[in-house]
Amino acid sequence: MATPDARPAKPRPIVNAWAQPFWDAARAGRLLIQRCRDCGEPCFYPRIACPNCGAAALDWVEARGRGSVYSYTVVQNNAPSAFTADVPYVVAVIRLEEGVQMLSNIVDCDPSAVACDMAVEVTFQRLDDEFTLPKFRPVRR
Amino acid sequence: MAKHRTRGRTAIVGVGEVPTGRFPDRGAISFALDSVREAIRDAGVDKDTIDFVIPTGALFSPQFSNELATARIVEELGLKGVVSNCQVFSGGSSSTNALRIASALIETRRARCVLFVHTDKLGTGVSAQGGIDLFSTAGISAEWEVPYGQHYSTVAALATTRYQYETGCTDEELSAVCVSNRKWGELNPHAFFRTPLTIDEVMASKMLSTPLRAKQSNMLFDGGAAFIVTSAKEARELTPQPAYVLGDGGAVTHFAYSQERDLTRFGWAAAAAQAFGEAGIAPSDIDVAEIYDSYPIFQLIAFEELGLAARGEAGGLFLRGETWPGGRIPTTTDGGMLSKGHIGAGGSVSLLIEAARQVMGKAGARQVPGARFAVETATGGTYMDSQVTILGNTVP
Ligand SMILES: [Zn+2]
Repeated sequence: MATPDARPAKPRPIVNAWAQPFWDAARAGRLLIQRCRDCGEPCFYPRIACPNCGAAALDWVEARGRGSVYSYTVVQNNAPSAFTADVPYVVAVIRLEEGVQMLSNIVDCDPSAVACDMAVEVTFQRLDDEFTLPKFRPVRR
Repeated sequence: MAKHRTRGRTAIVGVGEVPTGRFPDRGAISFALDSVREAIRDAGVDKDTIDFVIPTGALFSPQFSNELATARIVEELGLKGVVSNCQVFSGGSSSTNALRIASALIETRRARCVLFVHTDKLGTGVSAQGGIDLFSTAGISAEWEVPYGQHYSTVAALATTRYQYETGCTDEELSAVCVSNRKWGELNPHAFFRTPLTIDEVMASKMLSTPLRAKQSNMLFDGGAAFIVTSAKEARELTPQPAYVLGDGGAVTHFAYSQERDLTRFGWAAAAAQAFGEAGIAPSDIDVAEIYDSYPIFQLIAFEELGLAARGEAGGLFLRGETWPGGRIPTTTDGGMLSKGHIGAGGSVSLLIEAARQVMGKAGARQVPGARFAVETATGGTYMDSQVTILGNTVP
């Protein structure tokens, strides 16, 4: 049985160079997506060219940080080693208002309160000095 | 788009397989060699007729996987007529992609007799937690998903949650998939789980990631299998009953799971339309369905999207036993990954050779009487593709 001290560190994102502005912004508490200068389509995750039309002219734009839960699950057992101390934790596919999807965690709420199509907003959780992960929490009324 | 008609031009002529299990004292190479030797015997081919060897990847060991890529099997078995040894690996859809490539090579006369082989040692080649950790990275985006604790239980659970939300499918119906597959597993000497299973047992098992429970999750084992493909003409000379490749279709829909726009459908409908169109038959003509089942949700979705049941109604069919032995549409008749066991890319190899056995009349206690047409599905990574193959004992 692994002791808590022996538990592996959280996996850090393996960053593609062109995505660095996203991670820099996340560390500063801003959620960036890209928008194609040619066709106008938004995209996430960061690309070197628009997955819709192929144009290389992608602008960084700040997302409003609001969206909905497309789907979710509460991890209770058999988590990856680095996450066993976190159970129960919520993994969710988020649909941002801009139309793009991303994987994240739902935090700052009872996991049993999460539901499909519920409104969420971004919040930022520090992983280490280099990385801050965008996460989501229920929209406070 | 005009397409070269491929219906019935090639056939599977021989299959080989070792039982799924835990074999700490056996090297993974032995599963491959035993499977290939059986496939050669089953096909009745001279081993030196094999001119193209397609090993797939083994997940438990990069070293071993590279040995397969660099012709270890050719050397071990002394195959003397091999022009190419070329690895084809797309995770769980490797078998379908290899069959597609094999058929294309044979149709264009770039190959005469193609051997595909899979072996892996995920049961005893890695620890239990090592298996969980392997499947928290394999096929999962290292930048956009691994840092959030994504792994295959969450992947399956995310599809299940949304599918239940949209269709009203119940936990009981999901569990019925496990029970149906076990009915077949009981009849398969190569299956690891062969004792009866009830819906209550499935629903009482440990919750992994809501709503996915332990007995709705595949387990990792050792195993291997092989098949041999040749032209329809040569097939008829070799064996009284080849398994003709009637049609195939596919759709690659995502890499990162979170980028999939419809976790309740994937690309199955498009893939099925291609496959059935090429085969010249309809879903209602299918006698046996070998549907990829790493988790119940994916078996239900593919079953419906293929046109074997209306949306939201597959669970009821499994619950009522229509997919069981003796049922109206026998499904996943080798027991699937849920009963036979998950052996890496071999999950769909197993289903593909079971489809071949069924139309060749070689499925033993699991034989569906008079089976003419079998449909088989496969998918790799985090369900990044939807692959459909139709085999038949006759060319319509
Ligand atoms: Zn564009």
